[in-house]
Formats: sequence, C-alpha cells, structure tokens
Amino acid sequence: MDTLNELLNGFAAALTWQNLIFAFLGCLLGTVIGVLPGIGPVAGVALLIPLTLNMDPTGSIIMLCAIFYGTAYGGTITSVLLNTPGEAASAITTIDGHAMTKMGKAGAALTIAAIGSFVGGTIATLGLVAAAKPLGELGLLVGPPEFFALMVVGISLLVALAGKSMVKALISGALGLLISMVGIDPVAGAPRFTFGMDRLLDGVSFVAVIVGVFGLSEILSYRKGESTVVHAPGFRSLLPTRNEWRRSAPSMARGTGIGFGLGLIPGMTGSVASLLSYGAEKKFSKHRNELGKGAVEGVAGPETANNAHANAALIPLFTLGIPASPTIAVLMGAFLQQGLTPGPTLFTEHSEIAWAIIASLFIGNLLLVLLNVPLVGLWTSILRVPAPILTALILLFMVIGAYTINFSVFDVFVMIGFGLLGLALRHLEIPLAPMVLTLVLGPLMERSLRESLEISQGDFSIFLNRPISAVLIGVGVLIICSPLLKLRKPKALMDDPET
Amino acid sequence: MSRKKVTAAIAAAALLALTGCGANAGAPSAAGDDFPKKGKSIDLVVAFSSGGAVDTAARLVQPVLEKELGTNVEVINKPGAGGQIGYTQLTSAKPDGYTIGATGSPSVVVSPLDPARGAKYTRSSFQPLGRQVIDPAVIAVQPDSPYKTLKELLDAAKAKPKSMTASTTGLQTGEHFALAQIQETTGAEFAPVHFSEGASQATTAFLGKHVDILVANVSDVTDLTKQNKARVLGIMTAERSPSLPDVPTFKESGYEVEAGTARGYSAPAGLPDAVAKKLEAALQKAIEDPEVVKKMNDLGLQTSYLSGKDYETFWAGQESDFKKVLPMVQKKD
Repeated sequence: MDTLNELLNGFAAALTWQNLIFAFLGCLLGTVIGVLPGIGPVAGVALLIPLTLNMDPTGSIIMLCAIFYGTAYGGTITSVLLNTPGEAASAITTIDGHAMTKMGKAGAALTIAAIGSFVGGTIATLGLVAAAKPLGELGLLVGPPEFFALMVVGISLLVALAGKSMVKALISGALGLLISMVGIDPVAGAPRFTFGMDRLLDGVSFVAVIVGVFGLSEILSYRKGESTVVHAPGFRSLLPTRNEWRRSAPSMARGTGIGFGLGLIPGMTGSVASLLSYGAEKKFSKHRNELGKGAVEGVAGPETANNAHANAALIPLFTLGIPASPTIAVLMGAFLQQGLTPGPTLFTEHSEIAWAIIASLFIGNLLLVLLNVPLVGLWTSILRVPAPILTALILLFMVIGAYTINFSVFDVFVMIGFGLLGLALRHLEIPLAPMVLTLVLGPLMERSLRESLEISQGDFSIFLNRPISAVLIGVGVLIICSPLLKLRKPKALMDDPET
Repeated sequence: MSRKKVTAAIAAAALLALTGCGANAGAPSAAGDDFPKKGKSIDLVVAFSSGGAVDTAARLVQPVLEKELGTNVEVINKPGAGGQIGYTQLTSAKPDGYTIGATGSPSVVVSPLDPARGAKYTRSSFQPLGRQVIDPAVIAVQPDSPYKTLKELLDAAKAKPKSMTASTTGLQTGEHFALAQIQETTGAEFAPVHFSEGASQATTAFLGKHVDILVANVSDVTDLTKQNKARVLGIMTAERSPSLPDVPTFKESGYEVEAGTARGYSAPAGLPDAVAKKLEAALQKAIEDPEVVKKMNDLGLQTSYLSGKDYETFWAGQESDFKKVLPMVQKKD
C-alpha cells in the first residue's frame, strides 16, 4: 500500500503543469532526435543536458527521460517511411516497416509502432513500480558466462533470420562479425584490422554502416523507371485493420517480454532488444513466412521491445545505481549534476523526486501516443513529395546524418562504401539482417567470452556448469536444430505454403 | 497538408541541420586569442565507461567549465582497452583546445610503456592541464565472506594461489597494478578478471557474485560500503581515507603496499599558449569549486589540485615508478 501512496504522490507532482510541459517537450524533442539519422539517443540527451541544468531536478530529469524513450519511437518514422533508420534500435524495423510502406500501409505501420511503444513502455514501467528491487537483483544474476550464453541465443537466431539460404545468412553474419572486430582489441589494447589507419581505431561507426547498408543501397538499387517513392496512403489506410491488430497483439507481448528482460541486464542496448525480438517473430510468429515482405509483426515486435527496453533499463539505474547502457549513463550524469545519486538511496533520500519521475514515465508514454498517432498522417504525407526531390532529400539527410556522428567526412565515406556493399549483397540476394545482428552482438559476445574464460581460468565448462548459462546455451542449440526437427513432420511442412 | 507546406517544412529542417553543422565545423584559430569561439563546443573525452569514477568527476566539472569558458562542454565516453581507445582519440585530435580529455593514471602512464599494446602516443603526446584527485586503491570481499581481516584473506590466497578471482578494469590498469604489487609484497596471488568496459561493469559482476574479490578505488566502494554490499578489508595508502574511516590501511596490517590512481585533465600536446592558459584557469576554477569539491567528497573522492606544470612532474615520477613493476602485469602468452 505504501508503494501505491508514494506513486500517487508521484503522479500529483508529475501532473503539475510545468512538469507536464517538460514531459511533452521531452517527447517532442526525442521524436525529432530519433527522426534525424545519426543523432541517436546518447548524443540527443547529452546535447540537451546543459539546457536542463538550471531547471529544478524533477522537471529536468522528467524531460531527459522523455527525450530518451521518445527517440526510441522517432527512429521508427524514417525507418518505415524512408528505409533509413533514425537510430540504431530501429534498424531492423526498416525491413518490414518499409515493405509495408511500399504496400501503401505506412500509416498502419506507424500506428502499430506507436501503440507497441506505449504498451512496451507502460508495462516496463509497471515492472519498475511493482518489483524494482528484486528485479534489479535479478539482472545481477547475469554474469559474463550468462551474458555470453545470451549472445549465443542471439546468434542462433541467425538461423531464424536465414530466409531462403542458410549459407547466405552465414556469409552475411560473418561479414558483420568481421566488421565489428575492426578497432582496438578490447582486452589487450592492440589495434587490429585497422590497416594502419587511425580513423579505424574506434572501429567502424555503426550508424554509418546501417544507414549505408539499408538506406543508401535501397536508393541505389532502384532501376530506371521504377519509382523510388511509394504511393502515399489514403486516409483509411492510416488505421490498422482489425486483422493487423489481432496479428500484432502476440508480437507486442513477446516484444514486451524480450525488451523488459534485456533491459534489466547491464550492458544490453535497445538495438539488441529489437533485433532479438525480430528473430523471435521470425521463429515463433504464426505469419513468420510473411516477415520481410511487409508483415505487421516485424514492426510490432521490435518497436515494442525497443521501448520496453528503454523503460526497463531505468530499473538497474534506480535500484542499483548501475547505468546499463550508454544513454542511461548520460542520464546518470544528469542525476549527479542535480545532486541525486542513483541507487537504492534514491528512494530513501529523494523519495518524492524518484516517484515523480516514475509517474512521469507513465504520463510520457501516454503523451507519446497522443502526440504521434494523430501525427501519423503528417509523417506519411512526406511520401507525397515528388520522387526526385524526396530522393535528393533522403540522400542529403543520410550525408548529414553520417557526418554528424563524429563530425567526420570519413564516416560519410564509410556510409557510401557500405551502401555499395549493401547493393552488392542485394544483388547476390544475401540477407542484410544477419549482418546487422552480428555487428551489434559481436563485440558484446567477444567481451563476455573473454571475461568468462578469465573467471574460469580457461575452462570452457563454465558455460555448462552454471544453470542459467547452460539453459540459455540449450535454447540456442534448440533454435539451431529446430529446422532439422521439422523435417520429421511432413504435415507441418504442408501447412507451410512457403516451404 | 499541402505539398508546398511539406516541402517548406523539410527544407527548413534541412537548413536547421546544416546551420547546426556549420557551427561545429569552424576552422580553428592559430593564435587562440578568441578561444573558445562562440557556439563551438569543447569535447571532453573520457576514456572509461560512464558511471565510473573518472566519468563522474568529469561530469561534475563540466558545468563549471562551461560557465568559465562560455561555451558547451560535452563529455564523450570512449571506453575500452584500459583507456587506450579514448587516449588515442584525445592525442590524435587537433591541439586547438576544442578536444580535451580526462587522463587517469596509471592507465595513461602505462599504456605507452608496453610496445605490445601498440599505443600511438607517449607521455609527450599529452599536455597536462591540471590534476584533480588522488584515489587510493582498496580490496573488498563479499559481505558474507568468511574473511574478516586483510591478513586472513591474503593468507588464504597465499595457501591456494589463484583460487580466488579478482576484478580489474582491464589489463595494466590501476587495479591490475595493485594486484601485482600485492603479489610482489605479500606473495598472495589472485586470478585477475579484466572488465575492460570499466568500473561499473566490474562492480556489477562483483555484486552478482561472479567474481570473489573487488579491487577498486575508494570512490567506487564508498557507496557500496554504506549499503553493506561490500566489505572493504584494506586501503592501499599511507593514511586512512576520510570516506572509509573504519578501514585499516595495508601498512597498519603489516604490508608495505601503496597503490591508487590519480586523475586530471589534459589536451593533445601543442596547444597555443593562450588557449592552454584559458583552459588551465577554467579547470582550476572548476576543480576547486566548493560545490564540486563537496559533491566529490560525497562520492568518496578527495580533491587534490595540481597545476598543469606540477601535474606533468607528478606524471613523470609515476612513469618511472611503473616502469619497475611493469613486467609483472604484462600479458604472458
């Protein structure tokens, strides 16, 4: 009952008109930041912290949190409409989101994404209220071996993402892994695969790569006479059909679970959550064969997971004082500058502020829907811009986006280079999704593998001796073997029109 | 919405984005008299993950620095390789004052000493601007550990070498050096686990009981001790720390081990004098700001300011100390 009282007090504080305005501004700014390729949530929050320094602590944190989860939605808009992810976590949404746009269902995709974001964010916040403390401790159970096993599950989803040819998916995955290894060896500190170029010491910029691979290669692959731009949807198509709602619901449920679970684990990012959710859809959805061709599940799942992750990732910060992702760490900096130390003492020493922020998470997630669903029409009207102009504008945005990651022309060339690579891969019908997956998971996997082996002093059995990691590795093996198992059930094969 | 309106809106957004870039891409001035240019922000590179002590200090200094310099200062985290990634970025930036960085030792002192690491910088690639703190190393066990004193722990480690895992924040970091110094002086050998992402990852792994021993700095454990999540057994400094008054020093327990990290701020070498002066003055103001000092104290960090020149002398002294113990922390493979 205490919790409920404190939450109600939190709502009272969060619902003052000043704080409502801050939450609203945060959602709006977050959406805009998400829309612009290159400026991700980390840079977005960091850029705006100076603005909030002179505000009162509650208002400023409310606004920064809103910016943070707002970007998770904004990135979707360009992914769906222009096939150019606004931020890393929305990269996977381009696949089905943009396919839906080509079918004239852009509005439905955006609406589903907004609702999914709301569902995921709200349920994650409920989790924060209900069981913040035990859940925070749960995240601690995931040590390096468990983290590695989780990555194995992720990589095993390569199989699920394989599409027609497993070999081609593996080629794509291996490419991503190779690219992710460029830079300084995270343990020994020696440069590798940099070809002596200082520019490559930090590795290849992930955003430049995905903007190139997905966006640029898409534009480059248009043939003459083929319209770059899809027909703008009519008003009625802005709303998802009843069938689309029904199909999205299970995906949203899975996405919430995946995003929430991963949000609790320090070191996970929103892009891992959305990628794994897509993999899960590819594996478990009833319409998995339509994925990649404009299935609503491919939007609903990842977008829900993305926002559930963003809100759940606040749990380790609030309860343990551990920043679980780079954006959260920037947010933690803002807490400290306001004289608030995140961690268990936050609830004892600044209880009112902590609960006001939690209440604002509910309000902000609702604001995001109220803000974005009516605006879906506005966003989709971008598609009415004549094709040549729109193509030019998209190219301009891509160049600006790639440049602004590090304010370096080098990244623009990286983007162009990967655009050409993406074009080649499309020609060879090699799927792009596995590459993105290994690009994100590769470094995390390597790090946790090396840490685990240091803990066990070189003994690989550590992965099987620990229950959580053993179960996860088992799940990974099952996922990889499941297509083989299916061969025994010819009936299931017949139900499957694609196979 | 009409087509015209949409086009206009997009054009306006593009313009906005372009002007935003322009402001950040101005050419640096050679003399530096007009440093810092209005609207051009300064990057403060932190070579460790966010949430660790180096990052926290930088984020506390940042607002005062912004006020003193009259422009935006952005903290940019470039963790990995025990600081080498961030330091490489710092020293390869233009020495125009728009890129400065937090420099923590031993990481910054040590990485150029070992040729195997392939560091592209040496001590002379940095221009020290000021030292902020000295943070002694500590060793801590789980709160339910059977070891109640430092002697009990070290004796157990001596009896069964490498039976207990101990966290570091990466190869050849302060924690790794501290472990080597403990081994050298006391004969107690732990199995190091290197969490190259930094102190927050190491602490998380300790809290989850994935490693037995937490080797860290005073500032990392002050809060954990208050919450009774770690039992600090010894502090590697001559005197007890005001943040942990109940914890005996290694010396009190009979071991001559002193280790810790020092942190300050530096620029890539070759700053114009006028720029260096402005940055040094602003940093001194920020480091000695009573509000900052108080917040640092709350986090268990004792402010200990040195000017750029004195910081450089201190740095050189540390370098010659570390050269002696370096073979012990070099990777054997």
